[in-house]
Amino acid sequence: MAIQSLLSLLPFLILFISSNAWAQEYKFDISEIEKKPYQLAGYVELRPALFGLDRDASLYKLRFYRRDEGKTLEEFNSKLQLEGSYEKGIARLFIRTNSDLKYTYLGWDHKTSLYEGYLSIKPSSSLTVDLGKKTFKWGKGYAWNPVAFLDRPKDPDDPDLALEGFVAVSADYIKSFSGPLKTFSFTPVLFPVYNDVNDDFGKVHGLNFAGRIYFLFYDTDIDLIGFVGKSRTNRFGADFSRNITSNFEIHGEFAFINNVKNRTIDRSGRIFESTFDAKSYLIGLRYLTKSDTTFILEYYRNGVGFSRVAMKDYFSLIDRGYDSFLATGNDSFLKKAQGVTEGNYGRLNPMKDYLYLRISQKEPFNILYFTPSIIGIMNLNDKSFSIAPEFLYTGITNLEIRLKGSVVGGQKHTEYGEKPNDYRIELRLRYYFDAVKAYEWATKKALK
Amino acid sequence: MFKKNKPLTWLTFIMVFLFSAPSFAMDGTQLLKEIDKNLNPESYENYRKLINLEPDGKKKEYVMFTAKKGLDKMVALFLEPPSEKGRSTLRLGENMWLYIPNVGKPIRITSLQSVVGGIFNNSDILNLDYDAEYLVEQVEEKGNEYLLSLKAKAKTVAYDKLKMWADKSKKFPIKIECLTEASMLIKTLYFKEIKDFGGGIVRPSVIETDSPLHKGYKSIMIFAKIQKRDFKDEVFTLTFMPNVESLRKP
Repeated sequence: MAIQSLLSLLPFLILFISSNAWAQEYKFDISEIEKKPYQLAGYVELRPALFGLDRDASLYKLRFYRRDEGKTLEEFNSKLQLEGSYEKGIARLFIRTNSDLKYTYLGWDHKTSLYEGYLSIKPSSSLTVDLGKKTFKWGKGYAWNPVAFLDRPKDPDDPDLALEGFVAVSADYIKSFSGPLKTFSFTPVLFPVYNDVNDDFGKVHGLNFAGRIYFLFYDTDIDLIGFVGKSRTNRFGADFSRNITSNFEIHGEFAFINNVKNRTIDRSGRIFESTFDAKSYLIGLRYLTKSDTTFILEYYRNGVGFSRVAMKDYFSLIDRGYDSFLATGNDSFLKKAQGVTEGNYGRLNPMKDYLYLRISQKEPFNILYFTPSIIGIMNLNDKSFSIAPEFLYTGITNLEIRLKGSVVGGQKHTEYGEKPNDYRIELRLRYYFDAVKAYEWATKKALK
Repeated sequence: MFKKNKPLTWLTFIMVFLFSAPSFAMDGTQLLKEIDKNLNPESYENYRKLINLEPDGKKKEYVMFTAKKGLDKMVALFLEPPSEKGRSTLRLGENMWLYIPNVGKPIRITSLQSVVGGIFNNSDILNLDYDAEYLVEQVEEKGNEYLLSLKAKAKTVAYDKLKMWADKSKKFPIKIECLTEASMLIKTLYFKEIKDFGGGIVRPSVIETDSPLHKGYKSIMIFAKIQKRDFKDEVFTLTFMPNVESLRKP
């Protein structure tokens, strides 16, 4: 009888156990979502890298003419990026720091920078005023942003990296509407350049003014952007972005830069300066296939870039200087070339026409959180290129593992053909943490 | 006699067709509106936990805060894990953006992409009212359930067709099949665990998802603290995205 009673209870017992097990497995603890006025989080990164050197390349000769580093170079990079904030009423203080520690052929080096640090005052959801150091990141392009007038140039090889900002006072005024114009926002910026304040931006010359007007008009993002001041020449631009279908997006940017000064050097080492108005633009698309392959394709016209002839002259000067150094020990030509490299010939993508293609496949062969990609950048003027396969795995909570290689190719005196390395392999391990949660967890453990 | 009345007979047929079709569509639309209303207040905030389960039992969890206003405005902010913390996604009609704090600017994304991996995609996370995106093509009564056949209003909608089974008395979805234009099944959503969230909000607190395209994998969404709240329209703009955290109440 007792057994019979128990058997009759069995279905209920199974139901109870299974529902209880379910509740245990998928619990949602409300304390997980409690908001605190302060936050401290970030990531720590280890990034060893191996470079295969091209000893015949011009930029190898320019960098290593007094050294012999063999065929390969090893580098060890590590990074700690911290983000902290404190919120009280309508005010919020935000700080992002970046600390790099690396070991290269030059030995150990470390640097800590304040990437961003600003006070945000938000009297209403329509208005925010920011004072301090911050990034603006204007533009819609993925690899390049010709309209990012107030930002440091990003690296198309790793466009998602955080950048160091500049000190400014800015505001965001937002207004929403119903109808074809859904959003309007205005961002005026006061941009000082003084000794020790943004002095790496341009000429030290007091206040500059910049601004952005944004519209969401007929489901298209449109920005009108401008910069006027004495620290850099006046420049104006526009960008747009729009989804054509649920898996297809197009975007573009256009920038007009007034009175750009360009310094070129000929193969004899004579420096020429020219002034002209430059037009830079970018057109791109993002396309997702049914099999979860994403294509990002961009064409970039760099209006301030060097011509094929100017780059050939620069590389010829280096080769001539190197031969002269080997023959006589005189490095004056190489010193001249070094003088026009930094921020000029040596900047990222210094020529005129580029094509960028990134193909990434989400979770192939049912491997969850695994994304292999291949990134190609081609210099259309000299047909040189860089190809970089990348494997990203994010399956372990808070740990990001990325293995990336890159190979460059091109004829003599081309941009990628004269890079100091033929290939590069790097492994990046990045661990994200929430310091406040970790502290609370440790305190609880200690109390137990 | 019959010959004489032929035009009248045709006219009657045409009138019956013209007037019956819209009135049927109205019923279906009304039913879908009621289902939407039972799932969410017009403007609300909530917290959600997303769990991706792998066949070997491994799981990955995400916690997010969501705010919605009206038919087509929604924003979600990731709170957990630390690798995703601070990311926000915004939906304004069929426009979607993703903001990653490290990248520092919102980028347009497509509704079919997934910002978190797993079976849920962006439009599942930023789900608008069904009535805002779908037309009711057919309603069938099947015992205690309605079966609604829905068709996307625009090409930008993530799934071309939906088949929704809804509880007749409570007017909640029980199961939704998401299909392509060629009627290929992409995923199935199961609505479970009806819960009283207070303030008159009683609705399923768990949505489970599986997909024939990812056999053995499952994604689960658990809802908490759903409450009515009115937001300013300006909150649902690209410019506001870096400030979504300020919407959360301490």
